[in-house]
Amino acid sequence: MDGYATLGIFFIMALGFPIAPIIIANIIQPKQPTNEKDIPYECGVNTIGKNNVQFHIGYFMYALVFLLFDVETVFLYPWAVKYSQLGLFALVEMLVFVGILTIGLWYAWKKGALSWK
Amino acid sequence: MNFEAISTEIFILVLSLFAIVMDLVLPKNESRKSIGGVLVFALTGWVLYMFSMYVPEAAVADGSATARYFMDMMYIVDNYSLFFKQLFMVATVFTLLFSMDYMQTVLRYKGEFYALLMTALLGMCVLASANDFLTAFIGLELMTISFYILVGARISSVNSSEAAVKYLVVGSVSTAIMLYGISLVYGSTGTVQFYEMFRNQHLFTAAGLAGATMIMIGFFFKLSVIPFHMWAPDVYQGAPTPITAMLAMGSKAAGIAVLMRVLYVAFPLIGFYWLPILAVLSAVCMIGGNVMAIRQNDVKRMLAYSSIAQAGYMMVGMVSADYPGMKAVMFYGMLYVFANVGAFTALSVVEQQRGGSDYKSLAGLAKSAPVLAAVMTISLLSMAGIPPTAGFAGKLYLFTAVVNQGYLWLAFVGFIMSMISVYYYLQVAKAMYLNEGDGKELHISGAVRAAAVLSVIATILFGVWPEKLAELTNLAAYTFLQ
Repeated sequence: MDGYATLGIFFIMALGFPIAPIIIANIIQPKQPTNEKDIPYECGVNTIGKNNVQFHIGYFMYALVFLLFDVETVFLYPWAVKYSQLGLFALVEMLVFVGILTIGLWYAWKKGALSWK
Repeated sequence: MNFEAISTEIFILVLSLFAIVMDLVLPKNESRKSIGGVLVFALTGWVLYMFSMYVPEAAVADGSATARYFMDMMYIVDNYSLFFKQLFMVATVFTLLFSMDYMQTVLRYKGEFYALLMTALLGMCVLASANDFLTAFIGLELMTISFYILVGARISSVNSSEAAVKYLVVGSVSTAIMLYGISLVYGSTGTVQFYEMFRNQHLFTAAGLAGATMIMIGFFFKLSVIPFHMWAPDVYQGAPTPITAMLAMGSKAAGIAVLMRVLYVAFPLIGFYWLPILAVLSAVCMIGGNVMAIRQNDVKRMLAYSSIAQAGYMMVGMVSADYPGMKAVMFYGMLYVFANVGAFTALSVVEQQRGGSDYKSLAGLAKSAPVLAAVMTISLLSMAGIPPTAGFAGKLYLFTAVVNQGYLWLAFVGFIMSMISVYYYLQVAKAMYLNEGDGKELHISGAVRAAAVLSVIATILFGVWPEKLAELTNLAAYTFLQ
């Protein structure tokens, strides 16, 4: 159970870290509310116009393609670090993996997922 | 690592990539049917080649040859999984044959259909070969995610989109339940591998039993077993007809393949818990599916409920939990593919050219397309289990197996319900032969005709001469139990 106790202490510490400043700030701050101070704000400036902006659908496509290659990097990195021990087999394996992803990129490109309409 | 063991999966993956690349290379206005044609030939060739992969019975008996494994027992290629893979591939070949025209006119994205059908097939093959819960889970997800997209492939149709969203939501819920069950079972046994789970016998804890129950519920959702069936009719009705066919035969058989492996390899020790549940649920499925099918006026919905009843029949074989039972389930699964192909081929042609799949659209089909009407009738009679079609032989095997295990009442329920099902299957025949239609001749292409005729030949052939198929299922079931 020793391992779990360490984990528990870590968890409590992590929980306490953000909560403590809120409590301390609440205790020591001067409280003089005015109307101006009570309105919801972003970056200290009054909001102009609607605040639920719709994003262009193109971002979604970009995000998907980006995610694909982000994950690819996650796999490529440990492979590159251990490359000298892994040998030819791993190289072929990685080529197959990257090859399949490249077909995916080709598909996205050809079908217009990368063009901004 | 033994890559030869997963050659089937690699082959299917290559076909899927081939479909994507061909879709990109071909000019925009060119028909995509050629991709389907190549896939049909490639898959047919591979199905025939797979007969050489079977381990012969004598070699299994004296222990000189066993199943092949891949990746440290995670993946097993035995005769059982080979049989189911052949079943999925036969189903896919037939679906491709009768869907090429349909998809060319109905879908906006045509090349993607072929690629996704291949990934769905890949998922099914992984399911049939999975030897631990995580591999099974990956196969299940690969299959169902492909189907979510395929169900919603008719972008212009509201029904299709509704079906896709409904399938996605219900599918995700069932996946979540199953994943939670897997984590509980892993927590109490310390392994996800099927046979290890059986050996270390730690399943008899509250968490382990709860996990096993959740896993079974997850599979029941996928098999659309009553009371987890509510998604099936809407999804079957909304999906493009060939995809409905694929859902009914492929997805269901894949679920049964992995469920049998889970129940017989991983959970045999808690059999006295799940056997009664399985028996009752199969009876509920047979009764509910058949009774609700009577009241439908859309043939696709009727076939959805009838597929629930068919899942019930197959579960009867699983209840017997022995060698004849397994054999019967596999036999029935195979001939159900042929019966389904017959029915859905006719239905997809009618839907494509008359714009509907209700009983009215089928009126007078016997005059407009006599071949399709005959194929549809014979296929439906096979589902009902009328001799001399294959359905009779299949039900005979199923009910004999379960009666020998002492479940006389279950066989009785199945028998009565088969009689009831004849009523609504013949309603379709009545609409086609007795009602007057518009008399316009339907256009039937060579590929559709081939699918229809071949499926009927198979249905009748396995009805009067079930020996060869029975031998194959024997071999598959025998090595599974070794």
